[in-house]
Amino acid sequence: MINITDLSVTYKDLLALDKLSIKIQTGSLTAIVGPNGAGKSTLLKSIMGQIKPDAGHIDLGKFSAKNIAYLPQSHQIDKSFPITVGEFVSAGAWQRTSFWRLFSATEKQLLSQALAKVNLEGVENRQISALSGGQFQRMLFARMLLQDADILLLDEPFAAIDAQTTVDLMAVIHDCQKQGKTIITVVHDLALVSHFFPQAILLAKQLISSGETEFVMTGENLSKAGYQHLAYIAHKPYELPPANDDIEKQEEISGAKETTLNTSNCSNPAHYEESK
Amino acid sequence: MMINELYSLFVEPFLEFSFMQRAWWGCIVLSISATPIGVFLTLRKMSLTGDAMAHAILPGAAIGFLIAGVSITAMTIGGIIAGCVVAILAGIVARHSHAEEDSSLAAFYLLSLALGVLIISAKGSNIDLLHVLFGSVLALNNDALILLTAIATITLLTLAVLYRPLVIECVDPAFFRSVSKLSPVAHFGFLLLVVLNLVAGFHALGTLMAVGLMILPAAVARFWTDKLGTMLVIAFLTSVVSSYFGLFLSFHASFATSPAIILVMGSIYILSILFGRRGALLSN
Repeated sequence: MINITDLSVTYKDLLALDKLSIKIQTGSLTAIVGPNGAGKSTLLKSIMGQIKPDAGHIDLGKFSAKNIAYLPQSHQIDKSFPITVGEFVSAGAWQRTSFWRLFSATEKQLLSQALAKVNLEGVENRQISALSGGQFQRMLFARMLLQDADILLLDEPFAAIDAQTTVDLMAVIHDCQKQGKTIITVVHDLALVSHFFPQAILLAKQLISSGETEFVMTGENLSKAGYQHLAYIAHKPYELPPANDDIEKQEEISGAKETTLNTSNCSNPAHYEESK
Repeated sequence: MMINELYSLFVEPFLEFSFMQRAWWGCIVLSISATPIGVFLTLRKMSLTGDAMAHAILPGAAIGFLIAGVSITAMTIGGIIAGCVVAILAGIVARHSHAEEDSSLAAFYLLSLALGVLIISAKGSNIDLLHVLFGSVLALNNDALILLTAIATITLLTLAVLYRPLVIECVDPAFFRSVSKLSPVAHFGFLLLVVLNLVAGFHALGTLMAVGLMILPAAVARFWTDKLGTMLVIAFLTSVVSSYFGLFLSFHASFATSPAIILVMGSIYILSILFGRRGALLSN
């Protein structure tokens, strides 16, 4: 269990988190929600130990910072850097290879498996600058999978990607949860939180509410957090992309045969619904 | 007959005259050492930082000159200390004041340049000043060549160790901080290599031109490839070829050597802007 007690953090001369106390169960899937400046990313950095708190403390239980995999916001990454997808993802093995060990055959196999899990087979030698937004996000997930950590911290992993990629990557997250990993994700899309995340933490520098999502994402709590006019979105059904059969039917009707969608088991929302 | 003429034009100066051989050797060693640093400097979008640090070395070298005259050891130590101090000060000012890092670097390097020129002109002659500002690649002695070779060795060994952290830190610093405490080691280790190579470059090309040998070959390479390994090779070859033709022009046309080398590099850069394979004007 991650136990956060009376955590107060000042970031760049501003109070980012104020006396925050939360318990996050091992193996849980939790969304961190809150408006811009609510302290969501600061909370993730505090859990990683990158920001020293002014007061309070964070207990990771039997885990340490070495057991954490972090998926940063994609805008923090230099997409123009001349590096291939394979080289980028291989950084996920840092805890095992460090700066001097050779990348072994086992690691190469794990890398291929990680790429396959996010449907990125065959792009290992492509430059990261040549990837689409969705492919780029899948690549970040592959690196996180290669880390094989017990705690996964994801900072806005679904920003600016399409619904299909979101569903595919949610299936990956769900698979990780089934393996017993603790997953904490910063999410901006309130409907996505209500649809996919069993647990939620609502922040506005202070803790507004935490626990089961349906009890956290109430209109009253969302208003307190500063979502005065958006509370209805949390209760709006999340629009899933059409399943395989629907797409084929649409293609038959419209004759748009050139439209193809790579849908494997983990990318099919129908399978995701079943696994839920 | 033709071959003899070509031989006497292109090869003979480098075989007949030991000062040309030393200059050529100095440029090759500098190219091995400084171009990979330049590639990382440009990829980290720190070209201007490199320029500012090159200027910042001047007062340190000038104080070395003030104490010991034209002494390679004293000027090297002074240059390294001044470069490190300015890099650290600029970082501190940027973090603890409202000034942006680029404007604080610009302020520091202007102050450094003014101070360095003042110190040298107060004690030395105009020739000494020109020597420091534009280097003396045609007058590299054994001590200078040993220094350049030692710095190249240190640079390559350190880069071999820092390569993986440096690449990850360049691409995704937030991720690297999450998996390793080596992030500051990679950053400041790299800055130290920048300072060392600027000091090496300063002996050959002078403080005003030293950074050119880092930045221009790297900028050329970026127009021709999107692979890091190939970029390092192209940058090195650009530097070696430019140095050869710079020395060639200097010998036959009596041009000042370091501007001649940098101008050849600049010409290759302009050709790359026009015809390069990646993002060049005419290939678009």
